[in-house]
Amino acid sequence: MGPLPRTLELFYDVLSPYSWLAFEVLCRYKNIWNVSLQLRPTLIAGIMKDSGNQPPALLPRKALYMKNDVRLLGQHLQVPIHLPKDFFFVIFEKGSLTAMRFLTVVKLEHPELLEKVSRELWMRVWSRDEDITEPQSILAAAEKAGMSTGRARELLERVSTPQVKNQLKETTDAACRYGAFGLPVTVAHLDDETYMLFGSDRMELLAHLLGEKWLGPVPPAATARL
Amino acid sequence: MGPLPRTLELFYDVLSPYSWLAFEVLCRYKNIWNVSLQLRPTLIAGIMKDSGNQPPALLPRKALYMKNDVRLLGQHLQVPIHLPKDFFFVIFEKGSLTAMRFLTVVKLEHPELLEKVSRELWMRVWSRAAEKAGMSTGRARELLERVSTPQVKNQLKETTDAACRYGAFGLPVTVAHLDDETYMLFGSDRMELLAHLLGEKWLGPVPPAATARL
Repeated sequence: MGPLPRTLELFYDVLSPYSWLAFEVLCRYKNIWNVSLQLRPTLIAGIMKDSGNQPPALLPRKALYMKNDVRLLGQHLQVPIHLPKDFFFVIFEKGSLTAMRFLTVVKLEHPELLEKVSRELWMRVWSRDEDITEPQSILAAAEKAGMSTGRARELLERVSTPQVKNQLKETTDAACRYGAFGLPVTVAHLDDETYMLFGSDRMELLAHLLGEKWLGPVPPAATARL
Repeated sequence: MGPLPRTLELFYDVLSPYSWLAFEVLCRYKNIWNVSLQLRPTLIAGIMKDSGNQPPALLPRKALYMKNDVRLLGQHLQVPIHLPKDFFFVIFEKGSLTAMRFLTVVKLEHPELLEKVSRELWMRVWSRAAEKAGMSTGRARELLERVSTPQVKNQLKETTDAACRYGAFGLPVTVAHLDDETYMLFGSDRMELLAHLLGEKWLGPVPPAATARL
């Protein structure tokens, strides 16, 4: 048996487009590098509050920059990101609390579906400009990911229970203890050291720290380990 | 003759460690890609003021993060960055006005030395090792005397304004002029994307020198 896989924790929120970019790149590499990817649904609003930071989109020039940056990176990383028509309303008014609580309960009950459900929520809000706050929106995402309607409804009913609320809060606190001031945050656990990397643009550095090869943001599937 | 080189403008300030990282990567690639690298000394304090942004180091968690990030990137990009002990003092109290005015006049009078002098200044601020940039002490003194002249002050202000018009809220900013489009990229971490936009190959942050065009 070869060396043990190194754990990578990805703290993410579906409200964050850069989280989606990091998520897709890491999902591609989890079958190429000797790593174990742990997805950790987190609330970006909680990170902002705890760190004293502000969403970058509040600064006009950053908002303008982000729109282009997200579009170009989407093309380069081959992730179908398209900005919602009312960008600010989606981020600041609608938010992601229910969605992230839902992903929290999915992780508790059906961890094998967490990747797909997360992706479907991103596809709604950051690709097709669809709602992710209403119950029927979340159910639609869960169904698209392969969950039965009945099961999805059961999980949705649990989003406001103390267990689920607390779990999301704990994950958000964990990210804060790693020093997060935003998302996505990737935490790499190596034998001798733990690294916290912020953003979707530290993946080549991550490869270097892991002693793995960087094959660009869209690595050939043929090199995947089985 | 092949296609014309594409112009890349790099707006930078020696006060910005990420500017140094972007600078070194682009200096490596200027001899590999079909580009013409234009170095543009800029005042980061002016960018902050004009954009309403604040230096990231003012937020405690960002300051903590930057220390590690800059150290790790320095190792990965093979740039000898070491955060000075008085990190905050350097950034907030000392600033870079004279240094950037000096680089402005170097660009006016000795553009062929701009790369080396810029590197020398970064080495002084961000590294324990210092190298000579090859300018005579006498000539350096002459140029230093000109830093407070209107011509030099205005040139630095113009370059800083140009960066702002491209939408800068910080540095480094790389502006790539392609046939059909102009791209403004912020940070030292958009170089692989830049390669993609240029239709060039990304060979990592430390490309083999053997592939350099002569």
